Amino acid sequence: MSDDIALHGWFCREVLPLERALTHYIRRNLRDPDAVTDVRQEIYERALLGARRDLPINTQAYLYTIARNLLINTARRAQIVSIEHVAELEDVRHEVDMLETERHLNARDELRRAMAALEQLPPRCREVVRLRKVEGYTTRETADHLGVGIDTIEKQLTNGMRAIADFMLGGSGRIKRPAANTARAETSSSATPAKDVP
Amino acid sequence: MSAALIEQQAAVWLMRREEPDWSPEQEAEFAAWMDAGMAHKAAYWRLEHAWRQADRIAALGLTSGESDGIGEGSDDNIVISETRDMVSPTADIVALKAKETASPRRLWRPAAIAASLALFGSTVAFAPQLWERTFNSDPTIAVFSDTSASISSAPPPDAEALTTPIGGRKMVRLTDGSRIELNTQTLVRADITNQRREVWLEKGEAYFEVKRADKLPFIVHAGNRTVTVLGTKFSVRRNGDQVYIAVVEGRVRVDESQSGEAPRTTIITGGEMVVAQGLSTLVTAKQAARVESNLAWRDGMLSFDRMSLGEAAAEFNRYNDQKIIVEPSAAAIRIGGTFRASNVDAFVRLLDNAYGLHVEEHDGQIVISGE
Repeated sequence: MSDDIALHGWFCREVLPLERALTHYIRRNLRDPDAVTDVRQEIYERALLGARRDLPINTQAYLYTIARNLLINTARRAQIVSIEHVAELEDVRHEVDMLETERHLNARDELRRAMAALEQLPPRCREVVRLRKVEGYTTRETADHLGVGIDTIEKQLTNGMRAIADFMLGGSGRIKRPAANTARAETSSSATPAKDVP
Repeated sequence: MSAALIEQQAAVWLMRREEPDWSPEQEAEFAAWMDAGMAHKAAYWRLEHAWRQADRIAALGLTSGESDGIGEGSDDNIVISETRDMVSPTADIVALKAKETASPRRLWRPAAIAASLALFGSTVAFAPQLWERTFNSDPTIAVFSDTSASISSAPPPDAEALTTPIGGRKMVRLTDGSRIELNTQTLVRADITNQRREVWLEKGEAYFEVKRADKLPFIVHAGNRTVTVLGTKFSVRRNGDQVYIAVVEGRVRVDESQSGEAPRTTIITGGEMVVAQGLSTLVTAKQAARVESNLAWRDGMLSFDRMSLGEAAAEFNRYNDQKIIVEPSAAAIRIGGTFRASNVDAFVRLLDNAYGLHVEEHDGQIVISGE
């Protein structure tokens, strides 16, 4: 039985590098674009639950099997999906081949991507993230430095963290807010497309 | 619950855990949240992993549009795959930052770095107004640049030399109250006065427990890297042109000091390690536990976690005259465990018994092969 450390290591090392391709796969096979992150999260959850006893030998195949089953069930529930669609879902083999590139993100690419991730944040949010990452500021220090309240900094920082994480894993890096938390989270929220809010 | 909502909660945890006032009570709350469902773990691990990946921007200190320098270095094939434990930074943060600087980006310009290195050597280091002054007034830079030459070069002739033989270990208390522990085959020169605290790691490995001295940083030179701290615990190892730095607690600043190009500055905190070679600085994905096992030598032990047999043998060979040679047929085997550094026999016996490897002795060398 794999413990948490092994599970954690496996998840970061084997599963997360597949996120970009997995997200494409989900998006192509799901009618509702707003549900992509929810489905992905559920795939991760199931993958982790299933890997508790033994870590899978072939993570790609394992992950795509989970994804496919989940998507097929979703499609069947929707009852408006053609047989061809389900058949297409069955054939996941060609997905696997295109994944390798993502795995070999080297140090230089990683840095370039990190900078691009920072780049596409709204200005205020970018500055908060920069102060954190580059200068090592605490939220208190950041608040003092920028002359705003600590609540604002916390919102901008958590938004920034999520956007950067999304971008690092191959996503668009746009900030997605939970419905309960959308109201005036930050002033420069115009960069967030409305469709990303569930 | 929606994925976005869980992710937001995870982000709040991740942010709070990075704060210096993170408490054991909060850690317990966090652990309870993590255990409440695999969905929480999935969201947190994902966020933490990706957020750590973005740490590289700190090494450059760039903000926007400045991509020069990325193409350099020999770190092309390094793949970072694990996340690190976050350990709360200590009060050292404050000292290592020039908070008052209006445009922090200038901190990383070559002239500024030369000047800052010089400043670290003087008793007035870290005073914010001096940072500012140094940047803006040319005569000051000139004056400080002169001193910087002496700082980043060789130790003074009267610097105290501390050495250990192969397999040796030594603990030394410095006049400022700091402690250095020397590992096997190590040579350290120390220049500790009221005006400066500088140490040159000429070869080998040493662990430092630096006593805090107000405004007087402790500087360790190792190859073309300079490690600057106020008060903290860390180790530095030189292996050829590679420099390894592991931080047990506190915060250290690593400067790449002698390339003549824009120096790279990396700040690492407890639980993290740096591997530096040439112009490349890699903050490796390590956990606090790994840093601990990395320092097992302080108890005369070697601790391996899924290390290749080839690397493990090289570790043993640092401590013993009787060398272990691993044939390519066995070098890639991963092993783990904790061994007494001086007890080659126990290690070799394990390879024989548990791994079924072939062990032979020739001319005082132990040769290990797969079949």
